[in-house]
Parts: sequence; C-alpha cells; structure tokens
Amino acid sequence: MTRKLGYLALPLLMAAAFTSQARADGETIAVFTKNQTNPFFQTVRVGADNMAKTLNAKTLQYIPTKPDSIPEQLSQIEDVVVKKPSAIVFTPVDYKAMVPGVEKINEAKIPVVNITDRSAGGKFLSFVGADDYSLGLETARFLLKTLGGKGNIVIIEGVKGSLTNVDRVRGFNDALKEAPGAKLLASQPGNYQRLQALQVMENLMQSNAQIDGVLAANDAMAVGAIEALDGANRKAQVIGINGTKEAIDAIKSGKLLASGDYNGFAQGCLGTMMAIRALRNQPVIAEIVLKPTVITKDNYQPFDVPLEQRTCPTFEDAGKLGAK
Amino acid sequence: MTDITKEAMMPPRSFLSQDAIQLFYRLLAAFLICAVLAVLSDSFLSLGNILNVLRQASLTFFIASGLTLVVLTAGLDLSVGANVALSACIAGTVIHKTGSPALGILTGLACGGIVGLLNGIMVTALRIPSFIATYGMLWVLNGLTYWYMAGETLHGFPAGFRQIGSGYLFGLPIPVYLLLVFLGIGTLFAQRTIWGQEIYAIGANPVAARLSGIPVARRLLLVYAVSGIMAGLASIIFLSRLNSAEADIGESLTLPAIAAVLIGGTSLFGGVGTVFGTFIGALILTLVLNGMNLLSVSANWQPLVTGIIVILAVWLDMKTRRRAQ
Repeated sequence: MTRKLGYLALPLLMAAAFTSQARADGETIAVFTKNQTNPFFQTVRVGADNMAKTLNAKTLQYIPTKPDSIPEQLSQIEDVVVKKPSAIVFTPVDYKAMVPGVEKINEAKIPVVNITDRSAGGKFLSFVGADDYSLGLETARFLLKTLGGKGNIVIIEGVKGSLTNVDRVRGFNDALKEAPGAKLLASQPGNYQRLQALQVMENLMQSNAQIDGVLAANDAMAVGAIEALDGANRKAQVIGINGTKEAIDAIKSGKLLASGDYNGFAQGCLGTMMAIRALRNQPVIAEIVLKPTVITKDNYQPFDVPLEQRTCPTFEDAGKLGAK
Repeated sequence: MTDITKEAMMPPRSFLSQDAIQLFYRLLAAFLICAVLAVLSDSFLSLGNILNVLRQASLTFFIASGLTLVVLTAGLDLSVGANVALSACIAGTVIHKTGSPALGILTGLACGGIVGLLNGIMVTALRIPSFIATYGMLWVLNGLTYWYMAGETLHGFPAGFRQIGSGYLFGLPIPVYLLLVFLGIGTLFAQRTIWGQEIYAIGANPVAARLSGIPVARRLLLVYAVSGIMAGLASIIFLSRLNSAEADIGESLTLPAIAAVLIGGTSLFGGVGTVFGTFIGALILTLVLNGMNLLSVSANWQPLVTGIIVILAVWLDMKTRRRAQ
C-alpha cells in the first residue's frame, strides 16, 4: 500500500521540482471557483484562461463538484498544496469557513490572490472583486430614476444571510431611502432561484394591484419575475445583478431594464494577472474593487460579445478600473 | 397462487378505508390554513389567487405523485430533483436544436424514465437500499448536468411550447388540468388496479407479498420508472413555465416533493398513504408560502415555518395511526 502511494507521489514530486524552478514563463496558476452552476464563475474561469494564455502561463481549474461545498474545497486545497502550482487565484466558497484553507496555502508558501469574495483571513498578494453594496445601490438608483423617483417597489432577495445578498439588499434599501416618493411593498426571498422568484412574484401580484419596479438580487430571479409578469399580462420595470448572457439578451429585447455587471471576466483576468506579475517580480496592485457598471439598453454592446472573444484589460487599465 | 387467493388477501382499498381518517386530517389542516389566510389577507380568496396556488402546487405534485408510489413500497427516491434538472437541460437542448417541442417532450419523458429505470434496477437486481441507490444517482445526475451545461443556461423556447406551463384554457391554467388528470390517474391506479394493490402489499410486508406470488421486483421496477417519468414530465412543465433550464434547479425541488408526500400522510415505512394525500400535502406547502408572501412575512420566517409544518404533519401522522391501531 505505502509503495503504491510512493509511486503515485513520484510524478507529483517531479512536477513540483519542475515548477519550483525559476522561469520567466510557463507558470501554472491554480484557479479556485465556487461552483459549476452559476454562469458568473464560468466568466471568471474564461477570464483567467484568457489572461494566462496572453502571458504564456497556464491554468488549472479547481471547482467543487457539489456547488459551494466547504469540505470539498478544503480537500482541493490539500491536493493543490501537494501539487505546488506556481501561484493560486482563490475564491473562497465561504469567506469565513475557508480561512483555515487559506492558512494552509500560506504555510506552503504558495503565492495567492483573492478574488470575488473577500476572505475573512489569511495572507494574499492582492484582492480583486466587485462591490455588492454599490452594485445594489447603483442598479436601484437607476430603476428609481427611470420611474421618476416614485412607484411601488418589491425586492426579491437571494439566499438570506449570504454575503452577496446582505450587501446587495442593503444597497437596494439605501437607494430607496433616497427616493421618498417610492414605496417598498415587500422584500421576499427567492433564494437566487428562478422558480422561487417566479412564484414569489405571482403571489405578490395577487395582493398588490400595482407594482412598478422589481429589484432582484440576481439575474435568474429577475428573469423569473419577468416571466411571472408576462404570464399575468402586467408590466413593471425589473432590474437584476450579474450581467449574465441571459440578462443581456433580456435587456436587448426590452424585457429587463438593467443588470449590474459583477464583472467576472475582469475579475478572472486581473486576479490571474496579479498572480503572474508577482511571480515575475513585477509590481502588483494590492486591491482592485471594480466600479459597478449598470448595463442598460444604451451600453450593452460591449457585453454582447461571446466570452471567448473578449479581451482582458491591461495592467494600465487595471488601475483605472478600481473604485478604490 | 391463484388470483382468487390474492384477491382474498387484499380486499380492494376503498377511498373511505383506513386512509380516510388520515385524509380527513389533511383536508382539515388545509381548510384551517385557508380560513386563517382568508381572514388575514383580502386577496387570498380571490379566484386569481386560488388558480395561482393550484398552478404553483402542480409542479411539486407532479414530482411528488410518482414519489408517493415509491414511498408506498417503503422506498425513497432522492434523485427526483436532479432528474428534473438533467431532463430539463436535455429536453431544452433538443427543442433548441430541432425546433420541435414534441421531440423535446418525448426526450424529457424518456430521459426521466430511463433514470427511474436505472434506480429500479439498482434497487431490485443489485439490492442496494433505495435511499443509497438514489442518493448515488443524485450525484451522478448532478455531475452529468453540470458537465453538460458547463455553467451556461438555456433560455427562449417557442411560444406554443410555453403554453403548456403558462397558458390558460377556458380560464384555467393548463398545469391545473394536468394536475387533475394525473391526480385521477394516480388515485385510480393506486386504489383500483391490481398493480396498485400489489404496491401497497409490497410496502406493508415485502416477504408476505413475495410469498403470495406478487412479482415484487417487476412492481418495484415499475414504481421507480413511474417516479422517473413524472420527474421527466415536471421537467417539461418547468421548461415551458420558466422559459429556461439551468443545472442547479434540482436541489430546490427534491425536498418540497418529499415534504409533500410526508405532509400528505404517506408513511416512510410503506404501505400506507394516498396520491390524493400527496396532492393535499403539495397544496399545504404552497399555501403556506403563498400566505407568507401575501402577508409580507419576513424572509427569515419562511423556511422555519415550512420546517415546523413538516414536523407537525409527521407527528400528527404517527399519533393518529397509533390511536387507530
């Protein structure tokens, strides 16, 4: 048994020996994302691959088979520490629970960049992410501006207590406070699920004769709400968050008012860029919090390009993209 | 063994038999919830809302109706939600690629049925406990679906196809007609056919069932296949109602379906329960969420209330059964 394990470990050790040699390019970057189900992380992965290719490095993708599984990501970290990639680009499946995992990476002295969800602990070269609060705030402000600062509004929340949902909904509510003419009718959970959002919207339409605006904490729920409105032959302005392909299509066809771009592609690009730059002893930016972009019918064109054909921002752009 | 002795052993179960008390309690609970909601919310008793509740309950019911048969044999199908997800993604692709909703519907039903059959084979031929076999299947299906969809979603289906899930006929939503049809078929099948009676017998006592000449393995195979086909049907309703398919819909469908079966009074130990009870179970679950939305109850309370209702239903079940014995 131990001999067998020894044989297994041999190629790994050889790989580790090769990768630990100082080289100008050909680095291996391990990219950790949360799941295979949310289209957002697909954009992150394509962005990371794109940047690695441009810089003549390569990526290894680590994705839990069970979405957002804490134990699975932890064991993937254990695997990667043995495998010793040149650097890691890391999205924690849970910003608190994965801290011991990050500490393992730190102990193994593998350089690591944090993207998307800010880890509650551990040492990182750099953080690249979007700001959920300002995404909520800016999309809601846009909706209220479109409605002339008044009207009956409902909020469809994501998973209660999740980091993204808390901040997005806080942003929605703060924008509503700025518009005294607008009335919040209800704030109900759709758990980021299309079907649940559709049913919540159907129920809310029963008790509210007039709904003018819907603030959904992600695009799938926004589209679910639109299906419910269509089914009842009613109209309301709906916004979502994430800037998925589906949302862009809905904006194009005039069904969705706007979506807040969570900018997964840029997060993947820039996280990988920072990791590779650090390996090559080039300066990195310690923190990039991407400015929220509200995608509307006036500016959707750059987002209506297949992911594979998009180009990563340059290092010079990176400085400008950050809000902080 | 002759058919005469089989008949003698299992008198046809009438609708007003031992399950009648259970059904009475379920209906009473549903009426009580309705009465409370009608007092608290003006819009609850509107025709629009009643149809709304029925349509929402239908999706859970389709999944839960097939599951009821499985639970009647003292089994469980944990893969139903994941089966809906895979069937929806495959049926959706077929509709996109061929432009033919009919072909898509057939594919969805076939995909669901094949998965169900595989579950049945694992339970009968390989003798794996259903809980473990279908739990394994859940992972297999999730893996396949995630790999197949690769983080993408499918959306946009022909308007005609959309009618199945979102359309109306004579003022009633089409899923409600389907609900009534399958409620009727399910009830007749379980209560009025020999196969249905055999399924109850298997759940009540598998050894006695085998000794009395019931082809246990074949009936179990049938039951898991039906559960799969109903998941396939649910995937079609889902597609046409939501106008989209994505990989992660399964998880949010499995537990409500199991809850509907349990709230409906079907015993996890097998042999006791009705498809009609499951319908009431799906209705109660839907009513509770509908009511909380109408009353704008805080989001935090919704899962909590649902959980308490499931626990209460099972407790009530065990209590009344003990008394009946």
